[in-house]
This record gives sequence, C-alpha cells and structure tokens, in this order.
Amino acid sequence: MTTTAGRHAETDFRTRLQDWLPKIVLAPSVASVMIFVYGFILYTLYLSFTNSKMLPSYDWVGLENYIKLWNLPVWYTALANLAIFASLYIVICTVIGLLLAVFLDQKIRGEGLLRPIYLYPMALSFIVTGTAWKWFLDPGIGLEKTMRLWGWESFSFTWIKDNDMAIYTIVIAAVWQTSGFVMAMFLAGLRGIDNDILKAAQIDGASNWQLYRRIVIPLLRPAFLSAFVILSHLAIKSYDLVIALTGGGPGTSTQLPATFMYSYTFTRKSMGIGAASAVIMLMTIAAIMIPYLYAELKEKK
Amino acid sequence: MARALSPRRRLLTTIAAWFVALLIFFPVLWMLITSFKTEASAVASPPELFSADWTFENYTEVWARSDYPRFFWNSVVISIGSTLLGLAIAIPAAWSMAFVPTKRTKDLLMWMLSTKMMPAVAVMIPLYLVFQRVGLFDTKIGLVLALMLMNLPIIVWMLYTYFREIPGEILEAARMDGASLWNEIVYVLTPMAVPGIASTLLLNVILAWNEAFWTITLTTTKAAPLSAFIASFSAPQGLFYAKLSAASTMAIAPILILGWFSQKQLVRGLTFGAVK
Repeated sequence: MTTTAGRHAETDFRTRLQDWLPKIVLAPSVASVMIFVYGFILYTLYLSFTNSKMLPSYDWVGLENYIKLWNLPVWYTALANLAIFASLYIVICTVIGLLLAVFLDQKIRGEGLLRPIYLYPMALSFIVTGTAWKWFLDPGIGLEKTMRLWGWESFSFTWIKDNDMAIYTIVIAAVWQTSGFVMAMFLAGLRGIDNDILKAAQIDGASNWQLYRRIVIPLLRPAFLSAFVILSHLAIKSYDLVIALTGGGPGTSTQLPATFMYSYTFTRKSMGIGAASAVIMLMTIAAIMIPYLYAELKEKK
Repeated sequence: MARALSPRRRLLTTIAAWFVALLIFFPVLWMLITSFKTEASAVASPPELFSADWTFENYTEVWARSDYPRFFWNSVVISIGSTLLGLAIAIPAAWSMAFVPTKRTKDLLMWMLSTKMMPAVAVMIPLYLVFQRVGLFDTKIGLVLALMLMNLPIIVWMLYTYFREIPGEILEAARMDGASLWNEIVYVLTPMAVPGIASTLLLNVILAWNEAFWTITLTTTKAAPLSAFIASFSAPQGLFYAKLSAASTMAIAPILILGWFSQKQLVRGLTFGAVK
C-alpha cells in the first residue's frame, strides 16, 4: 500500500517521464548525426586549411591546399571526367528509365517478373557488377575475344584500355546498374496519372506522341526532378564502380573526385589536399541538394 | 495510365521488353553459368553457353581457401550487426517523431536525411583518424559502428514513414485504456510496425552488405568483408575465371535472394520515400 503523497509523486514522475521520453529517445540519433556528420565535416574543413600530410597536423596554412589543388592537372582530369560521366549518366539513365517505364506501363505480359529483373542490378553492389563488367570489357577475355572466337575476326572493343574512352565504360556500367531504378521512379509517376485526363485528350483526337509530349511528360515533372537529384548525387559520390572497373586508370584517365580524394589522402599522403577536394565536393552537392530538399519540405508541409 | 494496344503492337512491346530484360540480366547470368563450369570449359573456344560437365568444384574449392569463409563471416556480422544496432537506436527515435511530433520534427528529419546525400569523403578522414586513434581500425565492431552511423538517417527516415502509416488513434485508445508507455510500444505499436521494421531491416542489410567505400577504407585484412575481398581481384586472365565467378556469385548470392523480395523497399529507401 502506498500513501497518497507517494502515489502522487509517482504519477508526477511518470507524467514527467512521459513528457521527456520522446526527447530522450531521440537524442542518440540526433547526437550521432550531429557529431559524426556535422562535427566530422567541420574537422575535414579544418584539416583542409592545415599542412597535414600523412598524419594530421595543426599548422594553419590558409588556402594553400586549395591553391595547390587547383594547380594539379589530375584534379582537372577528375573534374572533367565527372562532368562527362555525370551528364551522360544522368541523361542516358533518364531516357532509358522513362522508355522502360512506358514499356512496362502497356500492360504487357509478365510485368510482375520483368520489373524485378530491371531492378536487379540496383540491388547488387557496385563492386561486384564493376568486377563483372571489367571481365566482360577486357579485350583478352571478354566481349572482344568472344566475338572473335565466334568468327568476327576484326571485332575490336578496347575502350577500357584506352585513355580517352575508358570513362565511357564507366558510363555503360553505371547506366546498366541504375536504369531499372529510374524506371521504377517513372513507373510510379505514370501509375499516378489520372486516366480520365488521357481519355479526354484521346477523345479530342490527340495522337499517342502528342499525348506523351504534351500531357504525360509534363505531368511527370516531379519524377524527373527526383530522378535528377538522386542520379546527380550518385554520380558525384561514385567511387566503388570506378575502383572495381578501372581503378582510376589507365593512368589517371578515369579518376573522379572521389577516387582523387582517396588516392591523395592515403596513397600520396597529402591529407590536406584530400580534405580540400572533399570540401569542394561537399559544396557542389550542397548546391544541388539544399534547394531540392527545401522545396520538397515546403511542399509536404 | 495503361491504355489498350492492338494485339500486334502489344506482342512487339512484350518481345522488346523481354529482350531488354535479358540484356540487363545477362552479365549476372553469365557469371552464374561460368561459376558452374570447369576452368577448361570456361575459356573454351568457341565459348559454350552451357557446359557439358556441370560442377560444384569451384564452390567447394573457393570455400576451402582458408580466407574466403572469413570474409564471408565478416560480411554477415557487419551487415546484420550494423542493421540491428541501427534499428535499436532508430526505432525509439522514429516512434518519437511519428507519434509525439513537435513543431521542429519535420525540420529535424530533413536535416538528418540531408546528411545521407552528402559525399562520404567529407567525413572519411576524421573517421579514419578517430578509428586509428581508438583502435577500431580494421575491426568488425568498428565497421558495425561506421556503417550504422552512415545508414542511421535512412533507417530513421524509413521507419518514420512506415510508422506514420499506423493510425495514431489506436495508440491513443490504448493509452486511454491505461496502457503504460512501455506496453503501448511493445504490445500495440510493435506488432503493427513489424512489416515496416522488416522492410527497413531488409533494405539496410542490403545496403550494408554492398557497402564498399567504408569497408575498403577502414579495413586491411582482419575485418575485411566480401566487398573488400572482391575489390582486390585483379583481372583473371582466363586462369581462374570459373573460380572467381564462383567467388563473386557467393558474394552476391544473399543479395540475389534478398533483392528479389525487397525491391519495393529498395526503391522506397533509395528515393528517400519519394516512391512508395
């Protein structure tokens, strides 16, 4: 038996706990994001202004790392590669994804089986698919050899060994990996379109092409936007695929900013320059992401 | 927005769609087939689509290599460990956000989610340095922590969107009936949230299993999982083609199975809930 006062204190404690609990249980998640993302980003930012080499150092050197970075030819190669890779990757994935979605939307037989197959590559790790593509594109063992053995003697496909063409092999593998995923985004968008609008347009005599161009594609704007944002952040983050497929080579011809950062930090022991390149990548992504997330958030509110 | 097509057009579209499917699946299929061939028939000329003598030898031999099971085990521990740890932290947080929202909940969620978009390289050096300092470098616990931290925002976000689909009235009814908070979470919320939690778990196991950036950066040999192991393959030059295919197949086998069942979750997770 408890006294009235005791019971009172107990309920008081419990209500107070009820009030505080939601905040307490939120704390570990918020704190870890705060420390391990934002705290570490600040640390990286700080390191980019120091002359850290193999080990971190705390000698302030101002913008020296940034100046050095922008004087490195490899950094320009990495940026140029990113520009080629990202633009081709985004455009081709969007086009193929949209086409596949339109395909699947025709109520064709076996859709339930086709959709998972289209999406399969996305579930696999970039490392494994990159390795599989490396074998497939290797002139000595893959496609080229197979074609020659089948009697097409003059067949030649050596992009992966070619300084100028190797970056396109990365585009091929990346497009293969993500097109199905983009398709899923567009398919969801297509399924969300009101059939009545289309019927009305058809009754008005709109051709199929007009229907897609004038009505469907404009209505898919949100899907285009999310596809763009997701593909561009995947492109900038690309690392595994390059490592598995070309390792940044031949030479430095397929370096991307992420592989550049890794090799400058660990292989070449220039942590300061690596940190500076990470800061620039971060700022690029932020410039794309922040407006998008902001708009998305406003809409949902 | 499907519309009726003429039977002929429909047949053509179907054929084209299946052709694309074959194209997409071909590299994986080729790897699967090669893994069951003998080394000789894997490099036979002209190449054989199907070998006359099927064999499991590649698998047994790869497995018998002393280090392969270790990589495999590391992968299992790291992906499941980081997922369970992440869920343990994220379930209460998502519960709090979904059922006891405040004015700032949405901003907080967006803020957490935005970190998932950031390039991993931005936090790589500090994490590497801290791990070196405290002795977590090249340990399974270290990787469990690292992958948990990296995927936490997405776990919280996924759980939040699933929890939001649960009608809050049910929880209120339970509260009215005098259920304590603990009972409310354990007996009312959890059973209803099981599908959402399972989906999040599945997605996160796949993400963690496939993770390569962190596993390559934060391990050398001891705690390296399969993704790091495969990344170390050099071009096979035809010598161990079948065996490397078997090793790769084993590396992706769990994903080939899980991936089939979890495509919806994958799309939902990777689009940050934009596609349900």
